[in-house]
Amino acid sequence: MTTQSTSARTAAGPRKESRRRPPASSTTKVGRPGFAWALPAAVFFALFAIVPLIMVAVLSFMSWDGLSSPEFVGTDNWSRLIDDPVMLKSIWLTLLLTALGVVLQTPLSILLGVWAAGHQRNRAVLSVIYFIPLLLSATAVSVLWRALLDPNFGIPADATWLFGDGNLFGEQATAIGVLAFVSTWQFTPFHTLIYQGAARAIPPVLYQAAEIDGAGRYRQFFHITLPQLRTSMITSMILMIVGGLTTFETVLILTQGGPGTDTTISAYYMYDKAFKSFDYGTGSAIALALVVAATVISLIVVRVSGYDKMRSSMEGVS
Amino acid sequence: MRRRPNYLGGAGSLVWLFLVGLPLYVMLAATLRTRQDYAENGPVSIPDSFTLDNYTGAFDSGFGQYFLNTLVVTVSVIGIVLVLVPPLAYAIVRSRGRATSAIFRLFLLGLAIPAQAVIVPMFYLISEAGLYDNLLGVILPTAAFCLPMSALILSGTMRDISPELYEAMAMDGASPRRMFFQLVVPLSRGGLSTIVVFSALQAWNGFLFPLVLTQSDATKVVTLGLYNFQTEHGIDIPGLLGAVVLSMTPILLVYLFARRALVQGLMGVGGK
Amino acid sequence: MKTRARLPRLVATGATLALALSLAACGEGDGGASSDDGKIHVLVYGDASNKVEQQIVDTFNKTSDVKAVLDTIPGADYQKKLQTIINTPQAPDIFFNWGGGSIKPFVKADLLMPLDDMIKKNPDLEKKFLPTVFDNAVVDGKPYGIPMRGTQPVLLFHNKKVLEEVGVQPPKSWGELLAAVEKLKDEGVTPIALGGGDVWPTQMWFQYLYDRIAGPELFEKAIGGDKSAWESPDSKKALDMIKELVDTGAFGKNYDSVKYTNGGSAQLVASGKAGFELMGSWYYSQQLTDHPDFAEKDLGYTAFPAVEGGKGDAANVAGNTNNYYSVMKKTKHPEAVAEFLKLMYSDEFVKAQLDIGNLPTTTDTDEFIDDSGTPEYSRFQYDLVADAPSFQLSWDQAYPQKASSDMHKAVQQFFNGQLDTDGFIQAMQALPTE
Repeated sequence: MTTQSTSARTAAGPRKESRRRPPASSTTKVGRPGFAWALPAAVFFALFAIVPLIMVAVLSFMSWDGLSSPEFVGTDNWSRLIDDPVMLKSIWLTLLLTALGVVLQTPLSILLGVWAAGHQRNRAVLSVIYFIPLLLSATAVSVLWRALLDPNFGIPADATWLFGDGNLFGEQATAIGVLAFVSTWQFTPFHTLIYQGAARAIPPVLYQAAEIDGAGRYRQFFHITLPQLRTSMITSMILMIVGGLTTFETVLILTQGGPGTDTTISAYYMYDKAFKSFDYGTGSAIALALVVAATVISLIVVRVSGYDKMRSSMEGVS
Repeated sequence: MRRRPNYLGGAGSLVWLFLVGLPLYVMLAATLRTRQDYAENGPVSIPDSFTLDNYTGAFDSGFGQYFLNTLVVTVSVIGIVLVLVPPLAYAIVRSRGRATSAIFRLFLLGLAIPAQAVIVPMFYLISEAGLYDNLLGVILPTAAFCLPMSALILSGTMRDISPELYEAMAMDGASPRRMFFQLVVPLSRGGLSTIVVFSALQAWNGFLFPLVLTQSDATKVVTLGLYNFQTEHGIDIPGLLGAVVLSMTPILLVYLFARRALVQGLMGVGGK
Repeated sequence: MKTRARLPRLVATGATLALALSLAACGEGDGGASSDDGKIHVLVYGDASNKVEQQIVDTFNKTSDVKAVLDTIPGADYQKKLQTIINTPQAPDIFFNWGGGSIKPFVKADLLMPLDDMIKKNPDLEKKFLPTVFDNAVVDGKPYGIPMRGTQPVLLFHNKKVLEEVGVQPPKSWGELLAAVEKLKDEGVTPIALGGGDVWPTQMWFQYLYDRIAGPELFEKAIGGDKSAWESPDSKKALDMIKELVDTGAFGKNYDSVKYTNGGSAQLVASGKAGFELMGSWYYSQQLTDHPDFAEKDLGYTAFPAVEGGKGDAANVAGNTNNYYSVMKKTKHPEAVAEFLKLMYSDEFVKAQLDIGNLPTTTDTDEFIDDSGTPEYSRFQYDLVADAPSFQLSWDQAYPQKASSDMHKAVQQFFNGQLDTDGFIQAMQALPTE
């Protein structure tokens, strides 16, 4: 598998392709597909993603309850949101949960991924069980944990020595803890897979050389494994961040934003505004803010990590 | 490579085994016991009754129909993705036009659009088109949101096809169309199976679009059925977990019989 | 100044057109309700009462050429879904609602059919119902709803066995209730089960205490737009009493994680883990379905206790006056709809409702009570409602639907201490009243 190069090239896009002129030796003119090949997919995507996105932008400046015609209200929705304590709290909660997700899942999945990259037989058998959460929908995972952690009819009612009065959903700290734990439970296997694939692609030569130099296991891990996993770490973290910003089912099923508004993250607040209070204008403003946030944060991660530079230096490899 | 065992990794993996295994055990155990046994002895006890009622109960409450609906959605989404993405990726990799490059950037932008963000206008569009509470109304947006990632994955695979092969075919006078079918598609099998796995999971596990865009039993998908079962019978925990187990059975079967393909496919999603 | 916007519609029309084209390419889709399939779609709130609604639909279909179809949406999602779809091509022909504020916005948006023409042709559609109930679905002088279930006063239910074991009588006054709470607590029983996760059960405590302490006038003032009502001393007194009740641990600690809609709170009472529950009269039929043994032997009920020194009459009730069927203006089958609505005062309807513990509000309901499945319970409710000087409609139904999310948040946060008295008052004052 030409692991690294593939992903690096993927992100490089067609511009890089255009830089690579056909070899001078080529005498035959190689036919290339026209843009018509890309058109059906582009139209389909524009229709169901770009057009709605434009409509969201327009709606964020309107007042609309779904019953009467929408009315332009200028920046009213936006200025109200800026002063809305629940909105501010929801941004903070979203960032907190996203950060918790990255902090909990990254070390865990690197550890598990590197371990699972080995070729021993028992690992293969155990990995079968490890990856089961990956196959469950967010809905199934949330329903499962809601049932298991129900204060009156689940495990806490049975294990008061561990859970005290057992109402994990009744306090902000424990409710956030449950949400972070459930996402970790659900998504760690996926990120483990990413690291497992990457760890297997590290050339064994590097380790052999290190062993000749007398480097121990931990030095090897920090000086070879981790640096080699860098690209995967960035991919995985971007996926975690975008996933964290858009968490929805988990909150809807586990806490419904409660207690009070203590776990009302932005994506849930948007749903609440749009489909419970029928304030589609404000809901759209929150939605647009989410898109912008996801884009900006991903760009920052790419820039700070030097991911964009890395791929150009990688071109020579493969 | 002969190396000392990795104790830290081993210990971590045991903890993880416990974290994954215990809930799964409690879930399975709960579904095989009566509601009374569960209520009296609690979730972590050893069951002293055996029943399949929780499964038949969930099935009778409509999960048969929901499975069928989810299957229709999944197969259709895979179909749409397989028809649209390979030509798109082919154009992205091989075309030199400005327009194609613009389209590629459009899809990169699309990666950052979460489904939640467009749900309000999506509802409006779908209902204006008369597709509210119709499976097609779920299929189309779900497929659309699979496109950016699929395009990225597949164009990555297609880039690995060496230019010499195209030239060789061009010597034979092959058109872009023939190259696509005789060269590109056969050599992209890995990427194709990845996008199938990816879109199948997206469709199978999709929740928000069905939640907002459907309402009746005739169009209910499994995830939504699970959610409704929970809102209506949330305290019948054995029954509820029975529904959860039912909902994961098909994908678990696929996993058992095609684990390699599935895992390879998922690794592909991570950019590999 | 606000200008009418055409832009979204324009964009949408363009997109819709393109969508239609792509559809033609994609071929036929699968089932689901379509906007006009030659049938009347009747949309109702999904719960234990659906079997009667289905029975009435079946009866109707026996004789009618235009067939009716009953569609249900699970209770917890009903209101959300209803407002989302009501102005789309997929709206039903007839739908379940709570009258009052729950249909006002739809009337304003010109979506509902005034029923005065139908009533002119068939005066029984109005005359056969108790006027106080019928009037709750009159908006701007025109009738928009026909009562279609039973009246639903909120009652204080209890587990007879549990109360007997700790030696308390069903309370007649607030003081007695507080004493009972203490005793139950000492015995390790949650005194009052509360489905706080749904929030509207929590709100029932507010409705009754405000009514008992201030009388119905305070809320009338508030919903009329005079927001100072929420700052009055009576309002603060009611809030203090609620706070006191919560702080003594009357509802235990887990109430926010318990729901009525998923059967949780009812299960706590039926299994003896809790003593009381304040709930609408539909509670009886729900318990009869979920826990038949308990419902027949040990389920007791009383009116909400009197509050010493309050201005409100202790005979006042709060709850839902009834549920109503309203008709969409754009229905293609108004004649068939009129025929369907006639069944809401038929003998079959009244008997079937009584049999599941609901109390219909037709003028002749009284005649059927003694032959019903639950004569004692029905008689109790009937007398309670008939003798009540005032019937306070549930707050979240009296306010427009768009206010209910914020109202529920305020109610929940006051209960769990995140809002103090002033915070709650401000939150209520911020609610839109129309």
